[in-house]
Amino acid sequence: MADIVSLREGLAELVSDGDLVAMEGFTHLIPVAAGQELIRQRRKDLTLARMTPDIVYDQLIGAGCARKLIFSWGGNPGVGSLHRFRDAVEHGWPAPLEIEEHSHAGMANRYVAGAAGLPFAVLRGYVGTDLPKHTENIKPIECPFTGEQLTAVPALNPDVTVVHAQRADSHGNVQLWGITGVQKEAVLAAKRSLVTVEEVVPELTPRAGAIVLPSWAVTAVAEVPGGARPSYAQDYYERANTSYQEWDAISRDRERFQEWLADQVYGAEVKS
Amino acid sequence: MTDSTVPADRWAEPDMTTGDETVTRAEVCVVACAEVFRGSGEIMASAFGTIPAIGVRLARHTFAPDLLLSDGEALLMRGTWPVGTPAEGDIEGWAPFRAVFDLVWHGKRHVMMIPSQLDVHGNMNISAIGDYHRPKVQLLGARGGPGNTVCHPTSYWIPKHSPRSLVSKVDMVSGVGHDRAAAAGPAARRYHQLHRVVTNLGVLDFAADGRLRLVSVHPGVTVPQVRAETGFPLDLAGATENTVATTRLPTAAELRLIREELDPAGLREHEVPS
Repeated sequence: MADIVSLREGLAELVSDGDLVAMEGFTHLIPVAAGQELIRQRRKDLTLARMTPDIVYDQLIGAGCARKLIFSWGGNPGVGSLHRFRDAVEHGWPAPLEIEEHSHAGMANRYVAGAAGLPFAVLRGYVGTDLPKHTENIKPIECPFTGEQLTAVPALNPDVTVVHAQRADSHGNVQLWGITGVQKEAVLAAKRSLVTVEEVVPELTPRAGAIVLPSWAVTAVAEVPGGARPSYAQDYYERANTSYQEWDAISRDRERFQEWLADQVYGAEVKS
Repeated sequence: MTDSTVPADRWAEPDMTTGDETVTRAEVCVVACAEVFRGSGEIMASAFGTIPAIGVRLARHTFAPDLLLSDGEALLMRGTWPVGTPAEGDIEGWAPFRAVFDLVWHGKRHVMMIPSQLDVHGNMNISAIGDYHRPKVQLLGARGGPGNTVCHPTSYWIPKHSPRSLVSKVDMVSGVGHDRAAAAGPAARRYHQLHRVVTNLGVLDFAADGRLRLVSVHPGVTVPQVRAETGFPLDLAGATENTVATTRLPTAAELRLIREELDPAGLREHEVPS
């Protein structure tokens, strides 16, 4: 059964320097508050995985928490580039960032294999691209039935997966709905997991299209209302588009970013 | 998915054009993007960029009614809603992100992506400019490119046709072109289908040898202009510089749909200014 914890104690307990951490979320339900708490706890040398890293990973990278990024798309949605991510890859600031680039399907299937306890996943994609040349974790494999040359990617089993959801019950069963990405697979593939939720409720009532992460598959749940801002949590709050636009200017300049970090993260109260 | 049932293209047919001299380059591009999906049938149509997003809706509202469009989130929607606004209409299906992979792998999708670089063989790059390990510009990443290009029809939209976007050799192959597919073997070739490239200057497709060729120029654009903006020698599909077709104009009905229903805010003009 999942423990109900505070965000600070949950992350302090579950995430160590050097861990492989996946913080998934797609368009909405992005675990921003948790990412900023990891910065506040000054975690180092993390390998960060996410199918579609956006501004919270830009913040973690700019703050020097990461040594490697495993991803398939990294951008500020609807705005443009992630400037801290680019600065790290292009200029090694504040530290060099190793990248492992995949396709979306490659990322999703790495989690699926991890969740299923299988060592690898098979795809048709990647053949003909330059990705296998640059990434050790993309290898050719021959189909034993047809002889067709396909591609294998290894299971991705994060030390910790962190996701955000609409709600949980007091036993730690988690329910999320609206557009979902690979949260379920990322949680099931992980050694440990923490879910931040908008609210803990006495009972989870059925919702159309909802996913339930059962309590036994989750390590800890923290109630963090607004924990996905400036992304949105469907049926709770809207996306703050201006925050994404403002991030472009803040993140372009190293000094301005460091001021933001001092003011909005290190100097800010923990949200839960 | 093989695509033998696609009817003859009509991108350059004069059609019942408006004679409206106010038609903008962006509106011509919308129609050219719509034509990419003519005859696609009942598949999911995914279009990146403002003009392709208007184009795919225009296609569905006129000559390609079976196209399935996402609301941008987890639903397939049928309705008429302007680009840049929340979807409105009838829900046709639930297609969360993971379900899109099923459509991709079964070939039931046609995507229009925006490459940062595209070469003469149709290899595209959205990963990095320069040396991959210390790039001059780290781009957004390969996302669906490696799977899309070997699983279902793929087209490209290039809002700024230049020697920087249409290059002799891409710095990194994130999506597979014809030469790479041929070299990689059946897994890459079987469902590989690069369909068309629409730019702000014209429309290109692929010759039998797998190389890009120019099939039409937009009204007001000359062939030497397109050639000067292309980073490799551009074949003219049997035409001469003077006989290359002109991309068709919108019909009066199409123009009304674009201007009044699909893009009343005129977002298209920001992507391709006139």
